[in-house]
Amino acid sequence: MNLVKTTSTLSAENISVWFGERQVLENVNLVFPANKVTALIGPSGCGKSTFLRTLNRMHELIPGAGLAGSVYLNGEDIYADGMDAVSVRIKVGMVFQKPNPFPTMSIRDNILSGLKLSGRKIENAEELVETSLRRASIWNEVKDRLGDQAISLSGGQQQRLCIARSLAMNPEVLLMDEPCSALDPGSTRRIEETISELSETMAIVIVTHNMQQAQRVSDQTAFFLADENTPGGVVEFGSTEQIFNGPIDPRTNDYVNGHFG
Amino acid sequence: MLLALLAGLDLTMSFITLFVPLQLIVSSFVGYRAFGRRGIGDAILVVLTIFFSTFVLILLLSVLYSVITEGAKAISFQFIGQNNVYVSPTTSLDYGGVGHAILGTLIVVLLTTLAAVPLGVAMAIYLTQSQSKTRNLVRTFTQALSGLPSVVSGLFILSIIEATQMGRSGITGSLALFPLMLPTVARVAEEALRLVPVDLRYAALALGAPNYRAFFQVILPAAKSGLLTALLLGLARVVGETAPLILTMNPSSGTNLNPFDGGMTTLPTYIYNYLASSYQTSQARAWGAALVLLMVVGILFALARILGKSKSKKSKATK
Repeated sequence: MNLVKTTSTLSAENISVWFGERQVLENVNLVFPANKVTALIGPSGCGKSTFLRTLNRMHELIPGAGLAGSVYLNGEDIYADGMDAVSVRIKVGMVFQKPNPFPTMSIRDNILSGLKLSGRKIENAEELVETSLRRASIWNEVKDRLGDQAISLSGGQQQRLCIARSLAMNPEVLLMDEPCSALDPGSTRRIEETISELSETMAIVIVTHNMQQAQRVSDQTAFFLADENTPGGVVEFGSTEQIFNGPIDPRTNDYVNGHFG
Repeated sequence: MLLALLAGLDLTMSFITLFVPLQLIVSSFVGYRAFGRRGIGDAILVVLTIFFSTFVLILLLSVLYSVITEGAKAISFQFIGQNNVYVSPTTSLDYGGVGHAILGTLIVVLLTTLAAVPLGVAMAIYLTQSQSKTRNLVRTFTQALSGLPSVVSGLFILSIIEATQMGRSGITGSLALFPLMLPTVARVAEEALRLVPVDLRYAALALGAPNYRAFFQVILPAAKSGLLTALLLGLARVVGETAPLILTMNPSSGTNLNPFDGGMTTLPTYIYNYLASSYQTSQARAWGAALVLLMVVGILFALARILGKSKSKKSKATK
């Protein structure tokens, strides 16, 4: 494995999002340094998943979605003219809430699917499959059955396969949208271990409803909140240590201590 | 039962008028004894369900039974292999057969399928994948078209034949079947594509796939078995059609492999032509053709299933 430490940074500046007439996010400013894990927390419907999707332009798939602001990946605006969503998504990988391996493909083909789907040549397929599966800590469980259908795996294994599938693209940033919410505690723990290993080589942004998980895996935390009939935004952003142990805003304090949400 | 027979009712009538109500009363009584009041409803439901499902099953089996027993009298290797040249209504069953009609059916249906399946699937893709505003209009039209009586479709093509003087041939028959097959394929294919979870599309796009690759490499393979069903239902819709073909094709007693010229007979039109005859042998030929049609449909369906299975196995075996 020769994994170069990336120094890429992702930063979002003044992000506002509309769905049709309704504004769902207002003026979000966040920075995601390389080799750091950032947790996005907040009650349901506060726009954190929407914000996550603006980081690789996945929100554009929702009809009527509009955006203002900029997202810089290594200093380059991913919304600039001439940047297309496809090239952004190759660099910024995404793992979804529900495991979604491709059911018609084998485990091996799932790993290689990203390269095929983005139309790139596959060199050293075997090595890439093994490396990706090892990085997602699932290699030992599937190495003897790479030809099996991906849906024959358990839910937790499927999610780690999806992580491996993203890793095969060698992304600079990995976005995770509640990756453990459909999984049992054992699988959750293994994915959290995987996250800390991966953070050595890339920036990770994770949306989570689990406060313990945010504390366990993240280096910095952003707390999102949307008051009634107003768009969501970031209330407080800082090191995970500070957000959980000494929040400045009383609303953050209430939320992380389970008083609402 | 005896009482009914004495009263002059035949067995079927007595079964429906006496046995079923008696069974209902007895079972609800038993149900009441065992479970109290709610036992009555359960017992009635069970009796009615068994009665009606048996009823439908018997209907289906009796159709199958009569086609097989009547058809078996006519069927033989020469009946399947030979065509109908020099056969008159009184010719013995040892001569002549439906070979030409089998080929005619296959050719006409194949031509229709070649046009209707790609177009129907394309329509389904449009209906599920695009964000266009005219989708609902197209969907409504498709649904209206699927209620089109087949004879109207035949009349429509007939009017075109008359207007253009193009002459009847196999292809005009295919044209008349096309408006019947297209909406069936389009609707079932649309359902099949709609059932593919949107998660898969997101997964593909998040990996940096352009839309068309996500569709062809992820969504289409995931919908494959549903699309196969669309093909089968489309086939089932047209393979037994008679009226549009009577209007748009001249019958032929010889074998004609050219769909663009000359008459062509399909199995349903063959059955139609012979069933109206009062001669015993002619009616036997019609029954025989009906049995052959059943077998052709069975073989077509089996082929489609095998084809679909072998493909999915291939993708499984890649190592």
